[in-house]
Amino acid sequence: MSLLRFCEWLSRTPLSVLLREGAYEYPVLLIIHLMSIAVFGGIVVMGNLRVLGIAMRSVPVSQVIGQFRAWKWIGFAILLITGTLLTMSDPMEYYSNVMFWISMLLLLLAGLNAMAFHFGAYRTVAAWDDAPIAPVNARRWAGVSLFLWIALIFAGRAIAFF
Amino acid sequence: MLLAHILQGVPEAAPFNPIARWTWVFPVIEAIHICGFTLLVGTVVILDLRLLGISLRGQRISQLAKELAPWIWAGILIQLTTGPYLFSGDPREYVQIAAFRNKMLFLLAALIFHFTVIRKATTPEADSAPLGWRKPAAVLSLGLWLCVMLAGMWIGNL
Repeated sequence: MSLLRFCEWLSRTPLSVLLREGAYEYPVLLIIHLMSIAVFGGIVVMGNLRVLGIAMRSVPVSQVIGQFRAWKWIGFAILLITGTLLTMSDPMEYYSNVMFWISMLLLLLAGLNAMAFHFGAYRTVAAWDDAPIAPVNARRWAGVSLFLWIALIFAGRAIAFF
Repeated sequence: MLLAHILQGVPEAAPFNPIARWTWVFPVIEAIHICGFTLLVGTVVILDLRLLGISLRGQRISQLAKELAPWIWAGILIQLTTGPYLFSGDPREYVQIAAFRNKMLFLLAALIFHFTVIRKATTPEADSAPLGWRKPAAVLSLGLWLCVMLAGMWIGNL
């Protein structure tokens, strides 16, 4: 089954109809979605700023990144669930929305970037944990993450504009 | 009565205002507004979780607050420039939306709370004292900012 056919099928499911036609389902989901972006993105961005050496310089990097991990995962889980439901409200609309696909690509890149940081530069964190500014290979990932998050917010907002 | 009186004095959007003229200006400014609140949420959550004794327990509260202050200021500054500009696109419409008026009240409360109670909770003199009253203060701070955002997001849905 092609993705288009799947979207056609999905848009006829009772859940999709409910999300599309209910007065409050969509706005409430959207608000929870934005909240989870703010919590998840906000903590990620503060971690990036710490690695870049421009925020919370006296706090060890591993604390800024490690101690908020649970909050990041909770935020990310809510982000995924509400995002999936929002998409389900009108699969045909999102299927043909270029900004939706750009947002998904940026999210994927942000995830890959975070993994590259975690399994790469971050493994030696013990050596530069207390340094006000992280080494350049760690800063590179933090800079890319910051850029991707800003781009993601712009692209995400643009979904509704296109 | 007073409110109705004030509402009458609210002007229409200026015809040369870019946000009222071109449709793409609004989403761009709104995206910056979302970036600003993401930054603000990040900083406020980190500070309040520290005040609650949940995260960064090894860090001195006054030092953390001092290092977060420029970012909280940056967030507030972004919001207080993009927000009024979004408002300028259709002032008459916004003042009639209950969610907008609620947001302004919550915002005022959150800012006052931050610069009085939270400031007092993060002074160097308080560092050695137990968290005590600062825990409920942190919860209230989170609650107020949450209300600001919930009301703000609801503006667009009405």
